[in-house]
Parts: sequence; C-alpha cells; structure tokens
Amino acid sequence: MTPEEKYELFEKHCSQELSINEKVRLNKLIEEDDAVKEELRVYEELYLHLDAGFNSEKELEALKNNLKEIGEPFFLEKATKEEVKKEFHQEINSGSKVIRMPSWVYVAAASIAVIIGSYFFSQNDPVYNDFAEIPRLSIVERGGKEENITNAEKAFNSQNYVVAEKYLSALLSKDKSNSEYQFYYGISLLEQDKYNKATQVFEKLHQGKSAYKHKAVWFEALNQLKQKKYNECVELLKILPKEAEDYNLAVKLINRLD
Amino acid sequence: MGDNKPHADQKYIEALLKNDTTILTEIYEKFAPKVIGYIKKNNGDEQSAQDVIQETLIAIYKQAKEKGLQLTCPFDAYFFLLCKRKWLNELKKSSRKEVTINEEIVSVNDESVRFVEETEIFNAKHELYTKMFDQLGKACKELLKVTFTIKSMEEVAEKLGQSYAYVRKKKSLCIGQLTQLVQNAPQFNQIQNLL
Repeated sequence: MTPEEKYELFEKHCSQELSINEKVRLNKLIEEDDAVKEELRVYEELYLHLDAGFNSEKELEALKNNLKEIGEPFFLEKATKEEVKKEFHQEINSGSKVIRMPSWVYVAAASIAVIIGSYFFSQNDPVYNDFAEIPRLSIVERGGKEENITNAEKAFNSQNYVVAEKYLSALLSKDKSNSEYQFYYGISLLEQDKYNKATQVFEKLHQGKSAYKHKAVWFEALNQLKQKKYNECVELLKILPKEAEDYNLAVKLINRLD
Repeated sequence: MGDNKPHADQKYIEALLKNDTTILTEIYEKFAPKVIGYIKKNNGDEQSAQDVIQETLIAIYKQAKEKGLQLTCPFDAYFFLLCKRKWLNELKKSSRKEVTINEEIVSVNDESVRFVEETEIFNAKHELYTKMFDQLGKACKELLKVTFTIKSMEEVAEKLGQSYAYVRKKKSLCIGQLTQLVQNAPQFNQIQNLL
C-alpha cells in the first residue's frame, strides 16, 4: 500500500466515510503493523487538534479578551494603595505636557465636528456617543477627608476612567451596596469598553431598588449600542417606564434604530 | 478517572467553554489570591501572577474543548498546582540565579496530581503540534485551514475549483506529512515517555 492510499484511509476513518471493505483493510493494516497503528493514533490526534483549533479561533479570542477584562480590575484592586496613588499623580502631572491649543482651534474643530457629526448622524446607525451623556460625579462632602472619594470624583469628572475605576472599586470594597459608587463604576467600565463587566454592574443595579434602577437600564442599553447589538439595545429601552429620566431619549433612540 | 462522576467544580470548566463571565469572575475571586500569594512569595509579582493565571485558564479551556476534560477532583487543588508548576518552570527558564522557593504545604491528592499531569502533557503536545504545523508548506497550511473551517468538503472543492476526491487526497497527505513531522520531532519521544 502506498503512503497516499494509507493516508486516504486514515482520512476517511477520521471523517467516518470508510466503506465496509475499507474498514476491513484498515483494521488488517493496524493489526499487522504496530507502526501504522501508532501513526493512525497520532493522525487522529492531529485531526482533532486541527479541527478544534481552526473552529474555535474566534471563541478562544473572545475568552482571552473576557479573562483579561475580568482579571485586570481584580489585580488592580489588589494593587497597593501607594501604587494606585503614584499612578494617579503621574497621570495628573502628565497633564502639564498637554499642548495647549488657542481657543479658535477649538471653535473651528467644533464646527467641523458638528458638520461631520450631523452628516454621519443622518446617514448612519446611531452611535454611543450620539446618546451617551455622562453625568458628573459628586460624592465629596463638605469637610470630607476620604482620599478615595476625592480622587474618584476628580478622576471621573476629568474623564480619566482608568483611574476612576480603581478608586471606585476601592470604595466599593468597603461599601459594596453603595448604588452611587456602583453606577459610576459601571460607567467607568463602559467608557473603557469593558462591556461584560459593565453589564454585571448595571444588571445588579437594575435588580435593586435604588435611585439608579432606571438609569442602569439606560446605560446598559447604551452598552449594547456601543457594541452595535441593536436588537438587545431596543429590548432594554422598551423596559424603561415613562417616569424614567431618560424615557424621551430612549424613544428617540428606538425610532432611530427601527 | 473516566468512570467517576464529574466533580461539582466541573462548572468552572463549563464556564470556560461557555465564556460565562459570572462564574469566570468567581474563579478569579476564589482561586486567584492563593496563586498571587504563592508567586509573590517566590520571586514574582502581580503581573506575572496575572499572566500565569490567564495562560493556565486558556490551557484548561483548550483541553476541555479538544478532549472533553471532566474533573473528578476539586478545581482549587488542580488549578493551584497547575499555576504553581507553570511558575516554577518559568523561573527555571529565566536566568534569575538566586531563586529561593518558599514551599508551602498544599493538600493535594493523587487524583489532582493526575489531572495536572494530564493537562501538562496536553499542553506539551499542543505546543509541539503548533510548532510542527508552522513547518508545513504554505499550500498545505492554507488547504488545512479551509478544509477544517468549511465543514462541507463539497463546498471546499467548489471553492478551490477542484474535485472532491482531489481535495480529500491532498488534505490526507498534508495531515500525513504533519504526522511524520510530529513523530520525528525529538520532543515527541520525550512526551511519550511521560505517558
């Protein structure tokens, strides 16, 4: 038997396409020659390896991203307070390196943005930035000295969501049920595209009875919108009651998505 | 170990297969601190721990996907031991000379050790197969990719403008070539000896 014939039998065996006669031939071959038996074993294993490898590429990529997303804040939570503090100060200090543009540049840029924005707005599917209005975080109480609170507020309001996430996470570790921390923590995650983790936070808030119950639904809908999961987004928007603060915006978004 | 019923912790293996965020978060919450503690005590830092944990979870996923891993021992011991051995291997590979290992007494039963060894052998094979696949010619690599991604061989034949029989023959020859590359690799015998 030529190697070509042998491998064709192996292939048919793996894809379960052997005829009765071919089965008999293959069995005889295996019984007579241990080397062929071993070769078939390796061939089969490689067949499975290739099959699983090529067919789970996307799945594996999604798992890796999710693990990274889940793991990262967890490890950051474990980081020492000093490390977080150092990083925060570095980020604040690096602000001095920002190139200051004259104000007219902003005006011109804003006009161009409006022109481009309105063009695309009318042409394309609605995007997250069209609808996401990030509220300001205001948790510092007069005379309050809790550093994590001050730092969380500063970072969040300067749109430094990486740092805000760390401080809010630290605050939540001491006060798990604080819905305000949870809500802003969810937004910090969403702004960093940590979709799954944000979903967990918003879902929990929606199930609770806090003032953020409806806000959480709205932001979870925006989370889906950001991922271009339009059907999921609409389904969430539909559960917002009329008294919800974002009801009108939700109706507008549903109309745009229909 | 095949006849035993899966352990309740099989849910963690299923979570990896389903990419279930809630249970995967539970893995990090429950099992990561012990690994981080161990790595930090043994010349590592949080970043190394994060890498070791992620790579170990991916290895478990691959084994579950390809071989249908069924745990009959607690996940805790299995996972910790895998991470620990992975980290020790990395320490050995790196040039750090003054490595002191702070051993901890970990309660590990024989069954956990067997599962760990099985996963390690699977990983070693996986690495070898991937390395040998890279040595195949471009035509073989592409043909294998197409034939395994598109399930219907008729469709593949049509796409390549060839007959069904020709494509199957070519595919079998490419896997045959890969089989020989694997069997002739020195690492293959080393892995076989571990079995």
